[in-house]
This record gives sequence, C-alpha cells and structure tokens, in this order.
Amino acid sequence: MEHEWPDSQAFGRNVAEPLKDSVMIRDEVPRLDGSAFAKLQDIVGVGNASRRPEDLLTYMSDSYSLLMRREVPLPECVVMPEETGQIQALMRLANSCGIPVYPRSFGVNIAASAIPYRGGIVLDLKRMTRIWEIDEDTMTATVEPGVSWGKLRKEANRVGLDTMPILGPYQGGPVGNFLLTNVTAYSSKRMADRAVTLEVVMPNGELLRTGSWAGERGDLNRYFRYAYGPDLTGLFRGSLGNFGVVSKMVTMLRPKMQHEDVVIYGFDDFDQAMGALKHLERLDITRYAFFFSASTWKHVFLSPKAILDPVERGRIEAQLPAFLMSVGLGGMARQFELNRELTDGVLTSEGGRRLALDADLMSIAHEVSEGGSQKVLRMFTPYTGFMPLIACVPPRHAAGVRRLGADLAKKYELLDPVDGGPLDPEVIVIPYDRCSTVYVEQEFLFNRQDQRSVERAGNCIREAYSRATSEFGAVHTIPNRSLLKRINPVYAEILGALKHVVDRAGILQGGAYSLE
Amino acid sequence: MLSEVRSNIASCLKCGACRLDWKTSEPICPSGMQFGFDSHYAIGRVSLARAALADSAVLTGDAMRTVLSCTSCGACDIQCNPAVGVEPLRVIEALKQEGFRAGALPPELRDFLKSVSVYGNPYRLPQEERGQWADGMSIEKYAGHDYLYYVGDVGSYDERGIKLARNVAKLLRMAGVSFGILAEEERSDGNEVEKVGEQELFEYLAQQNIEQFRAFGVKRIVTLCPHAFNAMKVTYRRFGAEFEVLHYTQLLTQLLREEKLVPKKAMPVPLTYHDPCFLGRHNGEFDSPREVLDAIPGVKRIEMERSGENGMCCGGGGGNFFTGLVGLGPRSPGRNRIREAQGSGARILAVACPNCNNMLEDASRSEDLSDQITVRDVAGLLLEAMALDVEVV
Repeated sequence: MEHEWPDSQAFGRNVAEPLKDSVMIRDEVPRLDGSAFAKLQDIVGVGNASRRPEDLLTYMSDSYSLLMRREVPLPECVVMPEETGQIQALMRLANSCGIPVYPRSFGVNIAASAIPYRGGIVLDLKRMTRIWEIDEDTMTATVEPGVSWGKLRKEANRVGLDTMPILGPYQGGPVGNFLLTNVTAYSSKRMADRAVTLEVVMPNGELLRTGSWAGERGDLNRYFRYAYGPDLTGLFRGSLGNFGVVSKMVTMLRPKMQHEDVVIYGFDDFDQAMGALKHLERLDITRYAFFFSASTWKHVFLSPKAILDPVERGRIEAQLPAFLMSVGLGGMARQFELNRELTDGVLTSEGGRRLALDADLMSIAHEVSEGGSQKVLRMFTPYTGFMPLIACVPPRHAAGVRRLGADLAKKYELLDPVDGGPLDPEVIVIPYDRCSTVYVEQEFLFNRQDQRSVERAGNCIREAYSRATSEFGAVHTIPNRSLLKRINPVYAEILGALKHVVDRAGILQGGAYSLE
Repeated sequence: MLSEVRSNIASCLKCGACRLDWKTSEPICPSGMQFGFDSHYAIGRVSLARAALADSAVLTGDAMRTVLSCTSCGACDIQCNPAVGVEPLRVIEALKQEGFRAGALPPELRDFLKSVSVYGNPYRLPQEERGQWADGMSIEKYAGHDYLYYVGDVGSYDERGIKLARNVAKLLRMAGVSFGILAEEERSDGNEVEKVGEQELFEYLAQQNIEQFRAFGVKRIVTLCPHAFNAMKVTYRRFGAEFEVLHYTQLLTQLLREEKLVPKKAMPVPLTYHDPCFLGRHNGEFDSPREVLDAIPGVKRIEMERSGENGMCCGGGGGNFFTGLVGLGPRSPGRNRIREAQGSGARILAVACPNCNNMLEDASRSEDLSDQITVRDVAGLLLEAMALDVEVV
C-alpha cells in the first residue's frame, strides 16, 4: 500500500468515465449479530468460522486492491464449509439477514475479484477438496471448489486422462467461483469453456444443477451441457460470483496420448508469428499452440533474483528471437510423427525456425507450456507491479492491438523496471477455437516502489483499454457494469434483471465486479 | 524489524502460491493445514505484517497465536521465492520478533521462554540432571576430543530423546570416534528461542555457548538435533562462531564410507525417511540420512510424495514442540505426515531428529497406526543393523 493508484478501477474504463459507480460500496450493510454468528458456527463447526480480526485481515485485499489502495471494511466473518449442504444452510441464513456473501474457491486471486467490498461473510471454499468422480467414458471430472489443478491432474493421469494445460500455477482450482480460469487456457482450441455442468447453491439456499445434470436422473448423466433450453451453465460463466455459489463442477478432461511433446519455434516479428499460428491452428493437429514475446519468456526463464543480473539476462536474450511459439503435439506414434512433420512444414514456411535453447531453458519452456507451473508468476516479478491489457479480437486485429500496446508504452515513456530501458510490454497470444479469435494479453510492468512509474502505467492502461475497444472492438471477460450500461443498456438491463431474479436480497457480490 | 523486510512485504502478490507444494499439489503449510484460514498461511501472515507496518493493526496476543503457530519449516519460501522472489519466512520471523517486542505473548510462549531463561531448559528440570542421559555409558567429559557431542534439551531431558542420544553415542563409540560431552555444563542451543522471536535471550544463549566452546577448545561439534545443528552452524556465525558443525547423520555417513561402521544384519522392511526441516530445507542436507539408511542391508527405501525440499513438517518447529500452538487433532501436521508415511507402503518411518521422533510417534498413536508403521531414529536402525543393543523408544 505504498502508493496511491490514480484510478481504482482501470479495467475497461473509458478515460472520461467518472470513478465512483464502477463498484457499489454501500455505507450501511446489515451486521452479523452474535446469535447469527453462533448459527454459522453450528452450520460449519466452531473451528471453521472465525470473526477474529487477525483471521479476517488477509481477506480484505489482493494484489490489485493493494496497488489501488482500495479501502474495504473488515468482513464480518470468514467461514469454511466442507460440503454443499453447509453452503445451502449458510446462504439461507445470509439471505434471511441480508448480509453480503463473497465466495472464493481456492483463493488464487490477483484481480480484486473476491474482495469483500461491502463487508459481510467471506465464504472460503478451499476445504471442499473432493474429486467426486473421474469418468473415463465421458472424459470428465466432477470436482469441488477446493480441488487444485495439480490434484486433478494427478488423479486423471491414473486413468489415462489429463487436464487441459493451464497458464496459471497448480495452486489454482478448476472451479474458480468466478469461472474465469479458462480465459487463458491455451488448450482452448476446441473448448473455450471447460465447464460442462454445474451444481450451484443459489442465494436463497436452493440447489440448481445445470445442463443434463438438471434432469430427473441427472446423477446418471451430468455430462452434457446443452439440455433443457438456454444454457444455464453459461449464465454462471464469467459471472464473478454474482448469481450463485458453484459447489461442484463437471469439467472436461482429455485423453493422455501415447506420445506427447512440446516443440518451440522462433519468429522475428509479430505478423509472422500470428500468420503461422493461424495457419497451424486451422490444420487442427496440435494439442495447443500459443506464442509469447521474448520479453515474457525472459521473465519466465529467470528467477526474480537472476533477472536482475545483466549477465544472466544477456545469456537469455542472446538465445531468444522476438517471439517464441510453443506447440504441444500428441498422438499415437505415426500420428505424432506426421503431426510433427506437418507442424514443422507450416511453421518454417511462415518464417519460423525450430529453437534449440539451453537445456535449463528448454526444461522451463516445456514445464510452462504443459501448464500449471509456478514459473508463470515470474512474468510479474521481481517488482510485481503490472497492469495487463487483455483483448480478445479477430486474428486480423491482433497485430493492431500489439502495436497499440507498444506505442502507448513509448508515449507514456514506460521504463522496464528491470533494466531501466524503454519497456517492451510482454505479449501473450493464445488462439480460441482454431484461431477464430485470439486472446492478446500485454503486461505493462512498473516498479511499485516508484510513484512516477505507477502513475505512468495507470494512465497508459486506461488509454489502452479505451482505444483497444474503440479501434478494434476488443473485449475482455471481466464485466464492468457501468461500462456495459453505457455501451449496451439492453445487455446491462438483462443482466440486472437476472440478478434480481436469482438474488432478490442482493447478497452475492462479485468483489469489485458486482452486477447489482 | 518489520521495516527491514518491507520490500518482501511489498512484493507479495497475494497469489496464495505459498499454500501448496506446487510440484505435488499437496498442502505444505503445517499451520495452514491445521487451521485452514488464510491467516494461518504465509499469505495471511504477510498481510498482518503489512498492516502492522502501516500501523493499521495491533499485534495482540491473539494475533501472535496465529503467527506463532508457524513452525518455521520454510516450505512457503520454497514455493514462493523461485517464482515471486519473496521470502515469506523472513517476514514471519520479523513479525514474531515484533510481537515479542510489543509484549504480545500467548501464555504458552511465556511459559516456554520463562522455563528456558530461569531453568536453562524448557522442561524446568535441574541443570545437574542434564548429563544423566549418559549414565552408565562412561562417556568422557569433553577435553580436547575430536568432537563435542552436543545433545541439546530434548536429548538431555526427554525420555525418548535420551534413548536417541544414547543410540548415537553407541555408534560413535563403536566407530572409535574421539568425542566428549559437556554433561551438566551443556546449555540450551536457543534455536527455538530464536524462532519464536526472542532475540535477546537467544543472543545470550548463543554467546554463552560460543564462549564455553572456545574455553573448552572445541573445534568440531556433532549434534543430535537438527535444530541445534541449525543454530550452531548458521545462526551462531552472526556472533563470530567458526566451529565445524555436523549433524550426526553426516558423521555416520563418513564413518560408513570409511568402513568404520559396517552394518551386516539385513532389514528387509519397506522404509521411508522424513526430512527434518532444519536439516533438509534450511541446511540442504537431504542425502546423508538416506545414505545411512541405504547402507543397511536389504533395506527398501521408499520416498513419500512430499520429500526433500518439499518435505512436510512434523509440526514441531518454530517452538511448537514446546508451545503446542499449532495444535493437535486429525488435521495436525504430525497426523497428516504419519498418514502419508503409512500410505506410502512403508512399515518404518525413519527420523533424524528427536523432535520429529516424538511428534510423529504421538501422531501414530493418535491415528491408531502403531501396528502398521513404526517411527524409528536413523541411529537406532543402524545400530540394529550392526546387531548392537538399541535403545528402542
């Protein structure tokens, strides 16, 4: 909390937009009296409910809220249910008292999404760690919110299945009550959304099951998302905890293949890499493909300490072309060989070249590519000041978004906090569904200890979001009610109405992203 | 001082990576596993430190209970530091010191510190009894021997610890090692005092020990306990100590290599080894105890999923062996660890620390697993393989 962040809600905000209404912070919220707290303790057990300030303090902030100096009230209490029935009882109680509830799954939050802005009850779900089923027939897993990717992967591997690679660390969980984890899944070529069906505790404590799970004998078939009319699983997708508490999710797995490998290709410019990615993904032969800029890989390859060493940085920089594409291949022996050959042909014809990095770097590249490595966190280190510009755009606009990021970094004279030179924003490009849309993320790094650096990055990111939207139609997946209300009032009205239907008392809060 | 770790505090991403071993995806924080709330993981303690530094939180005795249930095992550092660059344990240790300075002492901690400062040991037993662990063994008082054998509080006073201390002494004698002890003149090493944040008492103990060792002409020390090993090898250097310090498993490894110890009796039982935090994670010694175990004929050593630098703490570090602030029950670190050991298929859980020995043996009883897995010290196992009398705990 060293610095004042000039604009507390930079996500998606138009530069001219007033600050106040992007987050609903009510001054008066009902309090949890002693008898209500005793009831909560009865529901979850004395050791699983706390209102000791020292237990509550840490739930008040995450990386962004600290950076933005968001002052939030101390929540009333934190509770850790261990089963769905307990969540139902908790929601009934909260609903009857009108006390806000903030669900959080595994608590790997760095985007202010689970912060108790109105006080109330923090619903910490990390003790719900059961994997109810891994179904080989449908290649799905039914998991609770506290299950981590790593745990699911281990169990899936035992029966010849695997999780989709994820960009985040193993410490994250597949459920994620904000259902945003799959936004950056670079395995998303076939499935932009891994959620099949859900079990959701509604704000009034009722239980909703979505898709085929909603059927009379849904327990026999919870593996088909599109049943009974409109897709209710989709209602919760990206809902940021506004509509219900996801207590179980049926999530897709994939078959683990006989031969699997990762190959790394280098490209000298963005257009070349983008063209190659599009060409390759339309052949539909990879497990995944994505590319990062050299500046991203440089951070990933080096520990927060090592990156400060010019010699180490030099060793890495000497080996890295401007962009590195990671391609996951897999299949039976012949299929694997053929796919490798085809991949090589396509990528070299588009100007790429297969890279032979030092063994330690190659090992990290494999680890990060296959997903779940803690080393992805290095992208933001050692100063941990970062603001991402996230834009999902048609492939033809990807280069424009990239240029915009680079131009704005120059315009605002952003400096690389590591070497003090001009900042070359880190770039991550991930294709959706055979590269029909691409996810482009650019990181504007700054030094959190340096006020000027923070302010410049803040101004830069606001203009970046505004222009990415106006010039390229860029969208990102974190809703912002006030922005939505302005650009598409009908959409906002429908979401507001849905919110009112499912949560009349308005107790479920999506942290900074309330739809209420 | 918290201000000295300001940069660590400011750099915490609050990503929660400190809570799980990212390689195995298993829980790794002893107090976090026990209590569950984020406040009991490094992420919460760093938050408390941030608030305390900003004067927006007061360190009360209650708050310090949360902080002091940290076992100083360092597992959070292994998860966080290579990725985010933060050293959460440094922040936690600074917080403990700050809490002590503020007088925010839970009664359990007060009792522990009072015992050490008044009686010279946490057991409140007379100093004259300190050497009684060696009764009947005719071990010489240190007088220029090659090694000072330092057994520490648990090895001197605890019934089970004494047996472990004797097992090591028997092996040293068998191998013809020249060693002596300080007996009733030995003092507490202070490692746990330092880890709960009481720097002044620790400094007093450290300086007294250093002066005494110098007066005796000690050059090399072999310790029973990894906690004393850590204090004497690492922390005492702050005060100018330059002794060569070995843990007993390191010396046994040398003796086995030199064939001064030759185990012959086969032990064809599946066995696993529990890494003590202050030997392994804090001091990088993972191999010596395993080498000793592998020297036993017929032994089938299995690794638990959480091992080496990702080893799971027994719950006995950071003063918790004496204060018990990390608590008991089915979620306690010790019971979690013994379940893991039993689940690995091992019939013996080998330990190289008297604190771990007691924590895990108690956990085994609580889990009703004593007939399925036996907790044994490395020295005792080697003695058995040498067909020598073992002091079975």
